[in-house]
Amino acid sequence: MNKLSWSRLVAASLAVVGALASTQALAQVPGRFYWHGLVGANGVPLIFNSLTGNSNPFDPSHQVTPNASFDATMAMMGYAKMFALGDRSAMAAIILPMGRISGDASLAGRTASQSASGFGDPMLEFAVNVIGPKAQRNIPDVLRYEPGFSMDLLADLALPIGEYNSNQALNIGQNRWYGRIGAPIVWQLGDWVPGRRTTLEFLPAVWLFGDNTDYLGGQRLKTDPMFQLDAHLTRDFTEHFWGALDLSWYTGGKASINGVAGEKLNNVGGGLTLGYTINSNLNLTVGYKSTFNSSSPGELRMDGFMISLVYGWHPLIEGMKRLKNE
Amino acid sequence: MKKPSITLIASLVAALFAVAPPVHAQQAKRPNIVMIVADDMGFADLGSYGSEIRTPNMDALAKAGVRFTNFYTHASSSPTRSMLLTGVDTHLNGLGNMDEWTAPNQWGLDGYEGVLNNRVATLPQLLKGAGYHTYMVGKWHLGKNPDQIPAARGFERDFTLLDGAASYWDMTNFTAAAPKTVFTENGRYLTRLPEDYYATKTYTDKMIGFIDESRADGKPFFAYVAHQAPHDPYHLPKDWRNRHVGEYDKGWDAVRQERLKKQIELGITPAGTKLAERMWFIPDPVVLAPASRAILGKKMELYAGMVENLDHHVGRLVDHLKSIGEYENTIFIVFGDNGAEGTDLFKMIAGSPGSRDYLWAAANWSQTNPNAWGDPGSYIGYGPMWAQVSMTPFSQYKGWVAEGGVRNALILSGPAVKRPAGSINHGLMHVADFMPTLLDVAGTSYPKSIAGKDLPPLAGKSWGPMLAGKVDSVRTDKDYLAWEIFGNRAVRQGDWKLRWQWKPYGTGEWELFDLKADPVERSDLAAKQPDKLKAMVALWDDYARTNRVILPSRGPFETLVDVLPMRVPDDPGFPPLIYKRQFVPPKDMMADPKP
Repeated sequence: MNKLSWSRLVAASLAVVGALASTQALAQVPGRFYWHGLVGANGVPLIFNSLTGNSNPFDPSHQVTPNASFDATMAMMGYAKMFALGDRSAMAAIILPMGRISGDASLAGRTASQSASGFGDPMLEFAVNVIGPKAQRNIPDVLRYEPGFSMDLLADLALPIGEYNSNQALNIGQNRWYGRIGAPIVWQLGDWVPGRRTTLEFLPAVWLFGDNTDYLGGQRLKTDPMFQLDAHLTRDFTEHFWGALDLSWYTGGKASINGVAGEKLNNVGGGLTLGYTINSNLNLTVGYKSTFNSSSPGELRMDGFMISLVYGWHPLIEGMKRLKNE
Repeated sequence: MKKPSITLIASLVAALFAVAPPVHAQQAKRPNIVMIVADDMGFADLGSYGSEIRTPNMDALAKAGVRFTNFYTHASSSPTRSMLLTGVDTHLNGLGNMDEWTAPNQWGLDGYEGVLNNRVATLPQLLKGAGYHTYMVGKWHLGKNPDQIPAARGFERDFTLLDGAASYWDMTNFTAAAPKTVFTENGRYLTRLPEDYYATKTYTDKMIGFIDESRADGKPFFAYVAHQAPHDPYHLPKDWRNRHVGEYDKGWDAVRQERLKKQIELGITPAGTKLAERMWFIPDPVVLAPASRAILGKKMELYAGMVENLDHHVGRLVDHLKSIGEYENTIFIVFGDNGAEGTDLFKMIAGSPGSRDYLWAAANWSQTNPNAWGDPGSYIGYGPMWAQVSMTPFSQYKGWVAEGGVRNALILSGPAVKRPAGSINHGLMHVADFMPTLLDVAGTSYPKSIAGKDLPPLAGKSWGPMLAGKVDSVRTDKDYLAWEIFGNRAVRQGDWKLRWQWKPYGTGEWELFDLKADPVERSDLAAKQPDKLKAMVALWDDYARTNRVILPSRGPFETLVDVLPMRVPDDPGFPPLIYKRQFVPPKDMMADPKP
């Protein structure tokens, strides 16, 4: 290894900022979302989703509209930064959903069509590691990093400022505060050598929802807390190419409108994700996810394709690349 | 049937003892010999020689025996091994040059076969004839043909790597020219390695097995434990890789200084000794980024793990001998076969993109991520900066005849050693001395001929008087030692050292050093001491004539002067640009700019 090759290793570590390849659709983030990187690293994700189902993908409570069929094209942009909190690694991020959705709902033999477009509710995210290696404050730390068994504490908060029309059920913004708390876990299985890394990852989380007091013309929409468990088995195929098997389980989240309660969710979904590091700055992820359905009309049905590009950088690495005229 | 009387039984027993005692008593007194060779381990890599590397088992042998500070090997592997096994100079025993580098003008000439030739007797051959069991495990590097392997050269039992280096995990070779490394076990070429193979562990297991299997007959044994470790590639079980994390980030200069300080405290190195110059092409670690120090330091972490793992398995062998009651009657000899390795062998073999071996390396040796270092498919060596640390305080390393290439640590303990336990000997010793010394220990002698063939003279001297505590050195002021390999050559007589080395490690001229005043060869006295120079060159001429030295027309270092930066002196504090203390304005004179 020549004396400068460590810079390439470190640059590759910026890929962890690709963690922001999140999507509210199916309320699931891909595997490798909560890997940690060099303190000071930055990331800008751009995520496209094409989704269909009987629930509004912009709504993380996954309120089901029986006999409905929605099509959504959703994009998300954001910004994330790695920093240290004491000796622990931490991340702060903001992500802004946008896009359009249209759908038909059939009720009593009549079909109603709705559509919406615009910006959704921006979400703030904060995560701090509580179990696992200390923050990677310098490049030697990056070189020696192995997650082992790592656990973070996570808090998300969505700001209810997205596009909202109280006259229709289908909206981009949700017109209420909501968020989640969770504990992302990364469990390293075997060697931590690019090309051979394997992880088992979990994200147990609880979504909490405020009331929407202007739902469909002034009604009150309440949603119970929803428990979500995401699981990913990820594995490198080569140093730059990896894949994951994804599973999600949702339960709870029973919605009521003016006190009339609906059904609580209890669904399982799964998917596949492939990731590729295009270069030291750019990561590509593609995936497909779907709920595992029964024939019940009240059960959540969604599926979707996702493509994400995440641009990551660190001033130190960029400086080194300038010196090397890369 | 009439019962035999007690008197009759007693008479028979007495009669038996009357005949048998002299033989049994004589054999019981002869000690076992365990010779442990650490491949490329440096002078300063053992705790008992000033290292921070933890080697409690080899240090325990040092504590029970004697450490030597003026012990010389050859500058590279097979020449040293040829001399320790024959006692004959390399230019006579077939290793006048390494097989890998035999020069065109040496091809086909006696003494330059590149393998141990058939005109020499071997130590195991003679010990076997004297009633010893002879066992070998580890690296041979002295020939692969059926008549050249350990089984053909005196070893009863062996488990042997015939090549000069190898993976520690499997048979994957470094070159596509010979995709598999070659092993023998008891004279048969192996088709595969045992399950759960790891070189250092397996060699130790095999040796313990050999000792146990033939122990019942009560014969003493000669165990030649020629470990691969710590030769690169630094392959290590995971448990041994992370015992020094971050410890070497401080850089090679700091570690050299710490080792020298410890050596002086231990009495290994005289007080007042300075470090040899840092090689001119190696940066001062103070100018390196933390990441560079970390990644380069990690190589040394792995090397330290290699030495500690080796020590662990040496301890297993020693413990086993204790458990079977053989420890007290065993002579232990521990040393490194040459200076530490500072040359990038992997680059030499596979460093050219587009070449056959580069492609081979891409397929088999490309695990370059630091987290994969130690795994199969990784090839890590630690480079010249850490090789200098391993050779603290000396100059240069393996392949060169500067002190750092040929002087090594030696520990000797056991029943033949009558010197104070834990003592240090500064007498002049040489690897060729093992043959006469161990033949003396075994109660036999070096024959003039074998099977009608006259044997070449021994180059070494028996250490009998030294081990008995009668003298510190078996060499007089008139005796000299001499070396030649790859065209690099040297002579030592008393405190004086003459050396010629390829540029830029040498000057391409004779250099002269007073090792008593300047053990690290900083001051060339050739111009100041012309008479001494002339006398030493005459010794060289005598050596070359006596041993039929043919200087090679080609060699591994012939183009080095065009590859390395121009050699410049290593002056502490130069340039001030780097080392001068930086100006910091006085706090009470600092101010913000005026509007």
